[in-house]
Amino acid sequence: MNAKANKNQVTCIEPDYYQAITEAIRKEAVKILKDETVVGVVGYLPGRRKGTASPALVTTVEEAEKLIFSPACVNNLSVYLTKAKKGVLKQGKVGIVAKGCDMRALAGLMTESQLQREDLFIIGVVCPGVYGFGVERTGTLTEANIARKCRECTVHMPEGADVAAGTHAELADLTPEEAQEMARIEAMPQAERWAFWKEHFSRCIRCMACRQVCPFCYCEQCLCDKNRPQAVESSPRPAGNMAWHLVRAMHLAGRCGGCAECERVCPMDIPLNLLNRRMAQELKELYDFEAGLTPVDKGPLNQYKEDDDQSFIK
Amino acid sequence: MHAATKQHDFEPKIVAFVCTWCTYAGADLAGTSRMQYPPNVRVLKFPCTGRIDPVFILRAFQKGADGVLVSGCHPGDCHYMAGNFHARRRFAAFRALLDFVGVDLNRLQFSWVSAAEGGKWVDVVTELTERVRTMGPMPEFKELEHEEQWSGAINTPELKEAYDSIG
Repeated sequence: MNAKANKNQVTCIEPDYYQAITEAIRKEAVKILKDETVVGVVGYLPGRRKGTASPALVTTVEEAEKLIFSPACVNNLSVYLTKAKKGVLKQGKVGIVAKGCDMRALAGLMTESQLQREDLFIIGVVCPGVYGFGVERTGTLTEANIARKCRECTVHMPEGADVAAGTHAELADLTPEEAQEMARIEAMPQAERWAFWKEHFSRCIRCMACRQVCPFCYCEQCLCDKNRPQAVESSPRPAGNMAWHLVRAMHLAGRCGGCAECERVCPMDIPLNLLNRRMAQELKELYDFEAGLTPVDKGPLNQYKEDDDQSFIK
Repeated sequence: MHAATKQHDFEPKIVAFVCTWCTYAGADLAGTSRMQYPPNVRVLKFPCTGRIDPVFILRAFQKGADGVLVSGCHPGDCHYMAGNFHARRRFAAFRALLDFVGVDLNRLQFSWVSAAEGGKWVDVVTELTERVRTMGPMPEFKELEHEEQWSGAINTPELKEAYDSIG
């Protein structure tokens, strides 16, 4: 796979590349809307400001001709199928534009029977990467403005999609910033790690954007909103914040697809994906589970083996 | 009548989450057999280890526990067939998470104690209590509980100037 990837490594990705994906998405979206394969397509429309994009559900051919894909298309659209646009699925098959990381979320939701593959028409994007947070949104995508998650992307090819838009290309020589940060935290003494997370969690304002944006946080009633008995304090104080983030990480363990949307939307810049990543790493080590592009029968915490490791139990 | 009990400077609070079918019965056996074990442990009974949510453990620490014990049936003996197998995976993951955020895992003990193992219950509780006693009180979560907001210092000159101009 690496040999193949190396061939297409480039130093910057020109707008033309995204324009080609845009054309492919438009063509496909128009086609499936015209022949009534789908009732609507969840995709991206241009944002009001230059260099932005906003998620949209398009239901007519005219609208479908305006769909775009650009490095500003950061959102994971699968969240619309479990939350805001949940009702659309009842009307028929829905098309969705999905990057590799979004496909992992879709696969996870199918694993959990929240979505059915036959209800979806997946327009996969061969995504070279998207803009990071707070960077200059100029025409080209370079090493300087690519998102942190894209630096270590392993799912450039959306395998298993109904149709793939684009040709493979990726940036060369990206430093794995997140892996370096993980290694740095894991090397810290325990007290320092506590201080690090305490400082981050204490800043949390409990806006719950991380929950709203997560495709897997689809519970109608969240444990953390409940009182009587109250499991997690709901006011933005350090005690409740710590509990909320730990519960969140725990509830996403073995499910998270690693789209890092939680980290992107966090107004306080808490490195939430590090927690998800740590859990994913642990489940890989213990139970050899990795979030992939195809649905599985059961997630790692919903199944067991009789000979699971129990060295920590007396 | 009684041997003089040793006085300690610090008596740890231990919360034990136990399953009703095995460990609770095991603890009961220890009691009816008149075995002695530290009275520091507060036993909370659950239907199954599978019912014990990691959030209970967090809450115990936040509300002042210095150590937490989670105990249930041996693998294969679960009254509900597979509750403890699921719990085993969940707690393995939860331990990793706690370790990652910097909690000392020596304060959290998992064990399998069957209804016939009164002696093992005594051993587990005694060992955990003594271990936590040597470690001293657990300050981390209690400090969090008493903090009202972000303790961040005012560290930019502009903010400092604005702050000074108020008063």
